[in-house]
Amino acid sequence: EDVIPKRKVQVDNKIALERIRDTIKLDPSLPWTETLTVSYLEKIDVEVNDDLNRELAFYKQALHGAKAARALATTHKLPFTRPDDFFAEMVKTDAHMEGIRQRLLDESAGIAKSD
Amino acid sequence: MDADGDSGVQSTTIKMKRNKQRVLLLSSRGITHRMRHLMNDLEALLPHVKKDSKLDSKNNLHLLPELADLHSCNNTLYFEARRHEDLYLWAAKTPNGPSVKLHVQNVHTMDELKMTGNCLKGSRGILSFDAAFEESEWGRLIKELFTHIFGVPPQARKAKPFIDHILTFSILDSKIWFRNFQIVEKDPLQPNGPPEMSLVEIGPRFVLTPIRIFEGAFGGATVFANPEFVSPALIRSARRKERGESYKERKL
Repeated sequence: EDVIPKRKVQVDNKIALERIRDTIKLDPSLPWTETLTVSYLEKIDVEVNDDLNRELAFYKQALHGAKAARALATTHKLPFTRPDDFFAEMVKTDAHMEGIRQRLLDESAGIAKSD
Repeated sequence: MDADGDSGVQSTTIKMKRNKQRVLLLSSRGITHRMRHLMNDLEALLPHVKKDSKLDSKNNLHLLPELADLHSCNNTLYFEARRHEDLYLWAAKTPNGPSVKLHVQNVHTMDELKMTGNCLKGSRGILSFDAAFEESEWGRLIKELFTHIFGVPPQARKAKPFIDHILTFSILDSKIWFRNFQIVEKDPLQPNGPPEMSLVEIGPRFVLTPIRIFEGAFGGATVFANPEFVSPALIRSARRKERGESYKERKL
């Protein structure tokens, strides 16, 4: 039997959606530095369950975005790269990063042992 | 002189144009630890977020625009947990809408040890949207909304001055996939070599399925309903029923 019992009524009011988008739209004259948004010109076209290729596609999108952003930041004179002597709180604590490092070490040790 | 004065006034008014966004982040009662950690991750990544305590009632969502106004927020992210296992996310512009209801799946938080990246707490992230957002009207609306909510405005109080991570939103299988990568500009193996940019994932990860888009904030006319969305409770009940059927057949 079909898992989906019934199809719902489809609502896709394009005119209303566009009107709503117009009401919240940010001023197009805002400089890029206000939003830091970049668009990727390709579509992600991979098999959903193929984890490796899917993540690779996301990685490619992010890398393209990061490169475009760095170029844009240079033209807008926005500081991009963190200098080596700038220290501040990170999102992951040192203890957490130590845990990650330990896990990587354990993993490589396990591989070496099995070889 | 007059002309100079005019242009001076104009340039100051142009400078005044700012992307002012503040986001209220809160959840319903009954969220699990994983959902709570996801919220904490978002709070750590987005310095313009104001976290509030859990909302008591699941039926009085119209309180949320008021609450956002009290915290002087013009956006709201509301996580709604159902049956202690399903997570829904409301992303809304308050007080006038629109709002989007999304189903959150495949949550991985930053606490997991698999993702090795790290970034400054409160640095402004780049937002990247893939081309599929431009293909549909609902995609364009969500892109605009997410630009407001996930983009850190430059004058956010806790924002740091450098850029070291990128948030990506991609539409695949009519779902929105979220990833967060650290931008590494130096090769650790060749510190003096040519700077080659690479990325390391920081987390969190999640997948959002759009369910409905409403005209108002937490209510109002439905302007988009996803016909492909099947509620997780329905899927579970169908699966249980299937198992029940096979038991019944065995018994006969």
